[in-house]
Amino acid sequence: MTLFLQYAASGVATGCAFALVATGFVAIYRVTRVVNFAQGVFAVLAGMLAFSLLGWGVPHILAEFVAVVVAGVSGAAVGWVALGRRDTTPLASLIITLGLGIGSYAALILIWGDQPISFDGLKGNLLVGGVGMQAQYVMVICMTGVAFAALGWFFNRTYIGRGLTACSSNPRAARLVGIDVHAMGLVAFGLGGALGGLAGVLLTPLQPVAFNSDVGIAINGFAAAIFGGLLRPGAALIGALVLGVAEALVAGYGQASLQSGAALLIMLGIMVWRASRASVLTAEEDNA
Amino acid sequence: MKRIPGGWATLAVAVILLLPLVLPEALLTIFIFIGLATIVVSGLSLLMGFAGQVSLGQAGFYAIGAYAAALLARDFGVSPLIGLAVAPVATALIACIVGLPLLRLRGHYLAFGTLAFHLITLSILGEAKDITGGDTGLAGIPPFGIGPVVVAGPFKSIIFGYLAWILALLTLLFNRNLVRSRPGRALRALAASEAGALASGVSVGRYKLQVFVLSAAYAGLAGGVYAFYVSYIAPGSFPLVESIEFLIMATVGGLGSVWGAVVGATLVSLLVQLLQALGTFPGMPLRAPAIFSYAVYGLILVGVMLVLPSGIVPALRLVFGKRDRS
Repeated sequence: MTLFLQYAASGVATGCAFALVATGFVAIYRVTRVVNFAQGVFAVLAGMLAFSLLGWGVPHILAEFVAVVVAGVSGAAVGWVALGRRDTTPLASLIITLGLGIGSYAALILIWGDQPISFDGLKGNLLVGGVGMQAQYVMVICMTGVAFAALGWFFNRTYIGRGLTACSSNPRAARLVGIDVHAMGLVAFGLGGALGGLAGVLLTPLQPVAFNSDVGIAINGFAAAIFGGLLRPGAALIGALVLGVAEALVAGYGQASLQSGAALLIMLGIMVWRASRASVLTAEEDNA
Repeated sequence: MKRIPGGWATLAVAVILLLPLVLPEALLTIFIFIGLATIVVSGLSLLMGFAGQVSLGQAGFYAIGAYAAALLARDFGVSPLIGLAVAPVATALIACIVGLPLLRLRGHYLAFGTLAFHLITLSILGEAKDITGGDTGLAGIPPFGIGPVVVAGPFKSIIFGYLAWILALLTLLFNRNLVRSRPGRALRALAASEAGALASGVSVGRYKLQVFVLSAAYAGLAGGVYAFYVSYIAPGSFPLVESIEFLIMATVGGLGSVWGAVVGATLVSLLVQLLQALGTFPGMPLRAPAIFSYAVYGLILVGVMLVLPSGIVPALRLVFGKRDRS
């Protein structure tokens, strides 16, 4: 039983990190209807940048904060390219973000090399309800809670947040009441980048990242995001937790090599199940 | 005027058929890989341009074709020619089974779904150690040949050059006829508006599945040739970036442009090879080849999508005022 709880606890922690990436997907998709294939890159970038900053003697919290901010700025930059032209279709935007993701490998290898890197997070173990947990896991869970609370406040209580919500529910009407939809798209991309970056700095102490770790991170995040049809952050959080725990249990009781396969199959199952319930017309609106 | 495009095609075919005789060995290998890429890309271009579906899993089908041909020839003692013939059929069968649920997805969902398919294929190939040799791969694939005649020795590359490019030309010819036929028109309707096509009586689901299966069969065929040519395959021979490379080639050539497949495959392969050569120059940093190729992939995808969203061949057609005949 203790073993089960330990697996579940580590699953909840990685699930929380997936939830941050997933919320990034959701934030961007809601406002711009673009699925950002480069979403995993922000996590890798922030993780590696935090590693370098810590290496230069920057104190812990500051290093992670700077890394998240840089990830946010790079998110806005990706958005600026992907949304660059008015007539860019979502399919073209998807290929553009894919291209930016692949292209960023060049920069990542140039700066940090092609070997996985990691840095120390919180040391030690905490006893939670009789279950020993690495302190870093507790840290990931707490930070995710804080991030979600902050997002809730941002979307409901601030002007920009409400503008973003307006753009996602009806871009035309939002433009009519004077909201700059393009700028809001960039804000959404920046937010997505920062959320990915936060996931990156939290995950890197737990599992080393290499330049191409973004695929795994993005796939898990996307799988979680589609629980809510890419539109509902709350559903994405639940999806991410389910996914994280399921993967941890597969890895714990089964084989670690089957872990990613399990995640992929869960993702495919949900996507097909959701698609089979949607009619052609709503699906075309989704893609248009 | 009507004969000019045909004239160009004849000239291109003549050049292609002459090249294997004059190219040195190192360039011949690239030539063969371009031919194989053309086969895969021509299928992907049909799928993306005509059926409007993105696939990020073409290299997964390529891998399945390669493994099918290699296993048949090595472990079952089947003639390599039959192995090569079965490769696209086996791949098509698997594509049919995966495609039934997968093609309910559209747009970015399908892109992620096919990406997942590719990754699952690689992990199955890596896990089934008893059959596929696992991550260490499948060595000792018998040489290609018909009966007692075996393709080996100094002429191996020349023969494979012809094999790859004749198959490539046949797929292109098949595609050209396909897009001009009734199913081709149905496919174009499908790409423009799925609901519209459905309303006009096009059986959307069936056509989508058929193009998906056809594109997979092409990839399987190319994979079969690849397996016999290199005679060693492993899951690592078919990385994710290869699926993306096929996507890049299709995008560059022009989605839905039949001849765009050759142009895209050739341009992207040559550019990457050139940069690889540049990257291995003395004095270059150690990881320069990898850096160059990733940077180029990224730049091409972004650049083509922003500047020439329809691809090179359709854009040239527009410039020279030719009617888009495909």
